[in-house]
Order: sequence, then C-alpha cells, then structure tokens
Amino acid sequence: MSVPRPLRTTLTALAVLALIAFAWNGSQVDFARLVNSLSKGWPLLQDFLTPDVLGREIQPVTLQLAVPVPCGSAAEAPPAASGPRLVPSVPCAAPRDKFTVEGFDLAPNTELQLRWRLPSGQYFPGPFITTDADGYFKAEFEARPIVATKDGVPGQIEVELQVEVGNLRPSPTLHIVLDNVVVTIFMALMATVAAVVVAAPLSFLAAQNVMKRGPVGTAIYYLTRTFFNVFRSYEAIVLATVFAFWVGFGPFAGVLALTIVTIASLGKLYSEAVEGIDPGPVEALTATGANRLQVVLFAIVPQIVPNFLSFTIYHWDINVRISTIIGYVGGGGIGYYLAQMINTSQNSKAGTAIWAIVIVVWVMDFLSAEVRKRYT
Amino acid sequence: MDTLPALASLLLPGLGQFLSGRRGRGLSVFGVLALMLALVWWATAPAAGFAETTIAFKGDPNLWWWLIAPALVWAWNVWDAARPGGAPGWLPLLVAGGMFAIFGWQTAEISPSTLLQNGDRVMLIIRPMLQPDFLQVRAEEREGWVELLVPCPAEAPAAPSNTSDGIALELSAGCAAVGQELTVTGAGLRPDTAAEFIWQSPIGDFFPLRDPADPQQFRLVQPEADGSLQAAFSVPNAIPPGIDPNLPQEQRLYVRQSRPLGGWELSTNGRFVLQGIYETLSVALMSTALGTLLAIPISFLAARNLMGANPVTLAIYVAMRTLLNIVRSIESLIIAIIFVVIVGLGPFAGMLAVTVHTVAALAKLFSELIEGIDPGPIEAMRAVGGDWLQIIRYGVVPQIVPPFTAFTIYRLEINVRASTIVGLVGGGGIGFFLIQWINLSDFRAVSASFIAILVIVIFMDQFSAQIRKRLQ
Amino acid sequence: MLEVRNLHKVYPNGTVALTDVSFRVDDGEFLVVIGLSGSGKSTLLRCLNRLIEPSQGQILWDGVDVTAASGAELRRIRRHIGMVFQQFNLVKRSSVLTNVLAGRLGFANPWLSLLGVWPPSDRAMALRALERVGIRDKAEARADALSGGQQQRVGIARALMQEPKLILADEPVASLDPVLSHSILQYLEQLNKEEKITVICSLHFLDLVHRYATRVIALKDGKVVFTGLPQEIDKARFKAIYGEDAVEVRAGMTA
Repeated sequence: MSVPRPLRTTLTALAVLALIAFAWNGSQVDFARLVNSLSKGWPLLQDFLTPDVLGREIQPVTLQLAVPVPCGSAAEAPPAASGPRLVPSVPCAAPRDKFTVEGFDLAPNTELQLRWRLPSGQYFPGPFITTDADGYFKAEFEARPIVATKDGVPGQIEVELQVEVGNLRPSPTLHIVLDNVVVTIFMALMATVAAVVVAAPLSFLAAQNVMKRGPVGTAIYYLTRTFFNVFRSYEAIVLATVFAFWVGFGPFAGVLALTIVTIASLGKLYSEAVEGIDPGPVEALTATGANRLQVVLFAIVPQIVPNFLSFTIYHWDINVRISTIIGYVGGGGIGYYLAQMINTSQNSKAGTAIWAIVIVVWVMDFLSAEVRKRYT
Repeated sequence: MDTLPALASLLLPGLGQFLSGRRGRGLSVFGVLALMLALVWWATAPAAGFAETTIAFKGDPNLWWWLIAPALVWAWNVWDAARPGGAPGWLPLLVAGGMFAIFGWQTAEISPSTLLQNGDRVMLIIRPMLQPDFLQVRAEEREGWVELLVPCPAEAPAAPSNTSDGIALELSAGCAAVGQELTVTGAGLRPDTAAEFIWQSPIGDFFPLRDPADPQQFRLVQPEADGSLQAAFSVPNAIPPGIDPNLPQEQRLYVRQSRPLGGWELSTNGRFVLQGIYETLSVALMSTALGTLLAIPISFLAARNLMGANPVTLAIYVAMRTLLNIVRSIESLIIAIIFVVIVGLGPFAGMLAVTVHTVAALAKLFSELIEGIDPGPIEAMRAVGGDWLQIIRYGVVPQIVPPFTAFTIYRLEINVRASTIVGLVGGGGIGFFLIQWINLSDFRAVSASFIAILVIVIFMDQFSAQIRKRLQ
Repeated sequence: MLEVRNLHKVYPNGTVALTDVSFRVDDGEFLVVIGLSGSGKSTLLRCLNRLIEPSQGQILWDGVDVTAASGAELRRIRRHIGMVFQQFNLVKRSSVLTNVLAGRLGFANPWLSLLGVWPPSDRAMALRALERVGIRDKAEARADALSGGQQQRVGIARALMQEPKLILADEPVASLDPVLSHSILQYLEQLNKEEKITVICSLHFLDLVHRYATRVIALKDGKVVFTGLPQEIDKARFKAIYGEDAVEVRAGMTA
C-alpha cells in the first residue's frame, strides 16, 4: 500500500472511533441511569452477599390473651409480666370499641399479623404490624362484634410468631441448591460423554488427510465440517430454548443442547488433531498390507489419544460452566432454581445458588487443570 | 498373596495399597469408592422433610441395588491389595463408569423417547423453522371493515355500513347470534384480487374465517369486475372464555385484499432481527472496548511483581486477585440479571454485564503478562541510562502490547457469543428477541434469529481473524 | 523376480517424477538406487508397492501384475513386501512391541487385531525379530524413548514380521550418523545373504553403495541414467549422475 504511515494510523484510529460511536449508540449507553439507579442494586448485592446457607428450625408460637367482649362476659386475664407478651390498653372492651395493643420482647424487625381468635376457634384477621429493633410494637385494634363471648368463652387477641429453635444447621435452601448442583454436574457429564461418543468417530470424517480421497469422501468431509462450524457458532443455552419447548423444561433439554454444541466443538478440535498427525506411520502400515480400519486404529489413534483426552477434559470444564446457567431458559439444574428465585425476588436464596455456581466453577477449573497437567 | 494389605484394604479401601507403597493407587481407590458411596447416599436418602426437592429421582428406594457397584469395587480393592502385581485396573473403572452413567441418566432425566413422543411439537417447530421470517413479498394491502353486535341486544341496531381504505361494506343485519348466516355487500374492491374475510373478536384477536366448503382452507371471495362483492357467511363463535356469552359485544368483519407488487421487503420481525444484530454487535464491541480500558489499570494492581513489595500493596494484590477470580466464575448471564434489575431491560444492561466479566477475565490475563515480563530489556534500558518513562516505553510496552492486543481480540470473539446470550435475560440484542419469540412460539422468527446469530458469529470470527492477520 | 516396465509418474500438480523407468531385479539381489534429492528415488520405491499410484507402466512381481491389483489383492501383495523408511515411521506413543506387531497386520485376523488381541505365535515372532536386531530388552519401552538407530532397528523388525520376500528401504540411513548407518545396512545385508531376501534400497553416500550393493541403478530427473555394478561408477559416470559440481562425500568409516 502506498498510503503513508501517519495517514494510515489516523484512518485506522478514525475507523475505530466510528465503530465505537456506533457501538455506543447501539448498546444505548446511559451512565447517568447507571449512577442514578445504582442504589437499587445495593440491597440486591447485600442479599447476594448474605446467602441463605444456615438456619435454625422454625416453630410457630402463638401468643394469646383473653379480652372479653363485652366487659364482664368472661374472666379477664392479666398480661404476662415478662417474656414475649401482648399488653392491651384495656382489660376488656365493648363491641366496636377501639383500643391499642402493645407487644414486648418479640422478634425484632419482623412483620406480624395481629388477629382475633374467636370463641369458635376460627380467627378474624387484623392489621399487619412490624416490630422495631427491640421487638416492640404498638397498634390500634377494634373489638368487632363477631368476637363477643360465646358460652362463657372469651375472644382472644393473638399474634403468631416464628420462633427459631434448635441448633444452626444447613438451611432448606442449601439442601435444594446442593441437590441441583449434583444434577448440574451430571448434566455436564452426560452431555460430555455422549458428545465424545459421537464426536470421536465423526471427527475422522472431518479430517482432510483421512477423507479427501475421491469425490464421496470429499463430499462427506465438507458436510461434516459444515455441521461442526454451524453448531459451534451457537451457545448451548440458545439451543436449549428450542429443546425446552420440544421435550419440556428440565435437565434433559439442557443435556440435549449441550450435547449438540459439544459434538460440534469437540468434533472440530478432534479433527484438527487427526489432521496434525505424523503421516509416516500411516504410510508404513499401509505398506505392510494393513486395511483402512487397521491403519486408523494402529497408526492414527495412538497419536491422537493425548490430544483427545486433553480437549475432552477442557470441554467437560466448559460444560459444567454452561450447565450452571442453561437452566435459566428451562434446561434444569441450578440455573433453573436461580431463575425461579430471581423471578420471585427471593434474593438471598438466589445468592446461595450464585455462590454454589462460583464454587462449582472454581473446583472444576482446578480439577480439570490438575488432571490435564497429569495425564497429557 | 499378601494377607496383611488385603485385610487392611478390606477395612479401609485403598489402605492396603497405600501401606504397600502404591500410594497413588490407594488414594484413587479410596476416592472413587468414597464418591460412589456418597452418590448412593445422595440418591437413596429421602429428601429432608422440610426441604422440598425439585429432583424427582431423590429418595430412590432401591438401596441394595445401588450398593452392588460399590460392593464390587470394594471386593476388587481387596483382590488388588492381595495380589503382588495388582489386579487389572480397568475392572473397577468399568464398574464405576457404568454406575455413574446409570446415575447420570436418571439424575439428568434423560429420556430419548420424549424426543419422539413429542413429534407433534417437532412438526410445530420444524416447518416454520424452514421458512425464516425475515423477508416478505412486497404487497399492497387494503382493508375495509364493518362492525356488528353478537349476540343481539333487546333492541336490534340498524344494518351497519362503513367505508375505510376505499372499501365500502354493508351488512344485512346490525347484530346476529353465533352461527347465524349474514350477507355482506362490498364495493370499491380491486376486481383482480381475491378478498380474505377476517374476524376480530371482542378482545381484539384476529382470525381468518374458513371456507364452509373446505374447513382446511381460509375463506377467499373473488370480487366482481366492477369491484363489488356479495357473500354470505355464518357468524363465528369469537367470544373468549370467561366472558358472558349473552352479553352483546362489538365484533368486526374485516375484508382484506393483498396484491403482490413484486419483489421482497423486510418483514416486521425482519426489522427486529436487524435491530437485534446491530445491538448485539454493539454490545460486543462496546463491552470489549470498555472492558479493556478498565482492565489495564486493574491488571497493574493484580500483578504480583509490582504489588508484592510491601504489605499494603500486597493486601491490595490479594484482594484484587480474589475479586477477579470470583467475578470471573460468574457467567455474564448471571451478572446481566443483576444489571437488568438496576438499569432496566435493554442492551445497556447486557453491555454492563459483559463488560464486568471482560474486566475480570482480561485483568487476570493482563496481570499474568505483566508478571511474566522479561527483566532483561528493562535492565538493558537502565544500563544505557534510560529514565523511568523511557524504560516503560522501550523496555515494557513492546513486550506487553502485542499479547495485550491478541487477548483483546480473542475476548472480542467471546464477547460476541456472550452478548447473544445476555439478551435471554433482558440484556438486549438478538437474544432478547429470540427468547420472546420462543415464548410466543413464533418459530419462523426464531429461525430468523438463529440464522442471524450464525451470521454474527461467523462475521465476527472472520473480522477478528482479519485483524489478527493485519497485526502479525 | 521383479520387473518394472516403462514406469511413468506425473503428480497431479504437474511435476514429472518418473519417466519411462524400466529395470529388472533378480531374486537375492541387493539393488541400490542412487541419485540426487528429487531425482525420483522415493517415488520409484513407493510405486513398487503402490503407496504412490504410477501414472503409466507395469510392475510384475513373480509374474503377478502389481499395477493391476486392487483392494484385497493389493494388500496380499503388500504383506510380502517389507518397507523401511528414512524417518522410521514408528507410532511414537505406542510400545516397541506394538510397533513390531503392526507389521503382522496384513496377516492377522482383522477383527481380533482391531481389539488389540494377537495370537501368542505372533508375539513370540515379534520378540524373535527384536532379538535379531538386538533390542529385545526394549520391547516394552515407548518407541520415542529409543535413539534413532534403535528406532530404525524397530523398523527393520517390523518389516521382518511380514516374512518378506522383498524389502524396500527408502534412505534407511539418511537420518543416522555413519557408525549407525553401517550397523543398519549390515542387518539388511545379513537378511539379503542369509534369508535370500531381495533388497531394493535407496542411498545417498557412494562409499555405502560400493560396500553393500550387488547392483546399482542411478536416477536423474526421473530417468534411469545408469545400470550396472557398483565398481563401474567412475568419475565420468559420477559426474553424469550427480552433475558437474558434485564432490564425492563419504559416509566415513569403511568397515
């Protein structure tokens, strides 16, 4: 090219700038929006950073206190002096009277519902209240006619508390997340194994040095190669959307999508390994009068085993990574659980799932690196 | 026959091998067996009462059946310890592999038969997939309509007439019961094109009327030479479930003529596909550019040879490395979920997510490059009396710029793929359109977006290959 | 007896490798093919067992038309022709024994051989072949753990497994140093003398030709420019074969 260097540099810089300007426009960059709404992310991040991992068993405890309506229809009950307790401003009330109820030493910062327990045993819902940091609340309450004493049994004001009892132990969320982690790992394993079984023989069909003899071989070569190149271009999660529609939501859809992408990707890598072999042994064994299959098995296979192994482990690592998210579009496993939790805004449960994903990916990274170091 | 190691291995698998010097084998035997037993426990333990598991397979009652494989491996391990030369190693691998395969088959709920059982769904997918919705035949469309009440109210309205788009329509009655026969009279239609009859339900759904002679076909009526039309039709049942069928509701008959003009044009979904391609490529480019820009300073903080000198910087280094490692393990798809909550749906959220992941991945690579710098040239620059800036310019920059560029281009390829999938959770681009079309079961559009993804990926592969060639 | 008639080879890219090559080899001869690099020696040897398809001409071996054979018949012919290569052509990651056994593939039961199962007689034969070339103790080693000379001996052992009537040796010593060259060629000479195996060998160094060949043919630009006894190659003939500027280089250490 005769374009002088400074001009070329300027032109390149201008082209890059133009590209970036296009990209800026196309990705609708709006940093003001990011800064303004960053506060929205904070509670989310807090929830993610405090995953639901351990918990105590929860037992419902009902606090009750008889408040006869109308006064004198039944015995009044004195409020307890200590411990979690309800204290009404009046010991008894006439129908439609309003009074206040205070609660002491309840669980702090918790939402509770104040209600009437009717003499019949049913309850009549009252207002929702939130305790303060000391576990105290004060609320207005009405003595509805329906709570009137019946057959000498008074209505009672009550509140149901969720009391944590027992020792710390893995939370239900952790159990479910671990179950899903096992499913996820096995999804990746099944997909990888299935893909290896298919890709290993297919890869020979996409190897130039094996196939490019005669028109039929060449045609098969281009066909296999095109198949590999097309399906390698898709992320498994994109294909999973269609498979989830086909076979229904669940791990199987994810496995199918992963398998297809892995076949294409491994097939390509394998076939390159086959193309990279030393042709000498092939020639030597052909000269001894061995047939095609014998030549492949004795001259080619021993040369490619280490590469095949290394690629396979590498892909199994990638597949674990992808199977953690493939559930997001209906592919089952931990991603499906994560999607459900995010969609229902149960963010600390989602946080547990995210941490599980991080740990699984880490462990897999480490293991696959170790195995590859050792066996190849 | 070695009795002692055999006994040891009977008690604790692998112990005998370990004690008789075959440590690696002992540890492997123990590890494999422990893994097998853990899986048996996992499979057969009932789901904890309080935790509702989503996995159908858990709590399998066939405990003994599952124990066969570990028992075989246990027995093999005793044999292996007893035999001085060891027992054939492929046996336990086969047994364990078989067990893992059966286990995986069940856990991953693999059932190839569903592939065939849902054959009707496949047909629902494949036929439209073969006709990607990208281009449509250019056509001139005209549409007239007339409104009536179904069923009739107490007081029947007058026979309605209406002119729109140059088509005048008149009905024989202003109201009718479902199934009742009405006559429509039209004028101003094109005499050369057949007209379709399309019904609009009270909630605004459109569906074509079918030919009473052949219910497989849509109703087509050929206008007369003067552009007039007269046809009888029976009022379809278009009242959606949940609405009182006795309540008179406005419904419309549309008469539509579509005349091909020759040539092709982008369909509505085709325009969305183009927009998706544009957004996806933008997200990929922007996140790579921004990610590289941010990764460079961070990589210096995460380079041990620059930060290891004193405890404070070392602490920064460790914190940085840990953070990068954590973020790197979180797929950009998950990061995108968070950004969608923060900045809302759209490519900006996707771009931010891919950028964050890019920063983490590139900063790690860059910092490793900085750590691997050859000190020779730096020493040489110092020896010739270069100042600090000159050393950086001539001793450091030439060493790191080519690999930095190579990594960035490599990253661009990854980001193209990532930006197609962040869309699935609302991060804009082609993925965003794709997931919506999947949810609407519009597989012609799905097919178009699949082709678009293929084009994007192949285009970007070529693009980066070209750049790489230029740089060499 | 091997007879080559009017052999031509033109590669698909237009390179003419052999032009009208004709010669005869009697049983028990040690025929050496000489010539410059690119003169067509390798092509000629590979045409003899049709690793390379000749474009024209005929090859008759004990009355059988090698050029007309196809498929199974060609493999039956090949299994009686051993071949030794310049780059040894061993499967480097396989054991020495497996490499030697591979020489038996043409005889083995095709299905059993695919499973890697060999009859004990073949194993014993392979060990004997290795013993003959002096590296029986290396049978279990990986092929790439051996030195160049040892690898070539594995190559010869592999050829021996075919119980060949003819051995084609394509520059068998070009990748080896002079001392090793002699030891390898001595094995070939021994096979030629004791087992009456015909050897056709291409060589580079004239002193080796003088020492081992019973007869010589020389190729230049794909044409036969000389046929005769080694001692007939005088200065004039040498210049005719190798060109005016050539200087004779010796492999050294004449044994």
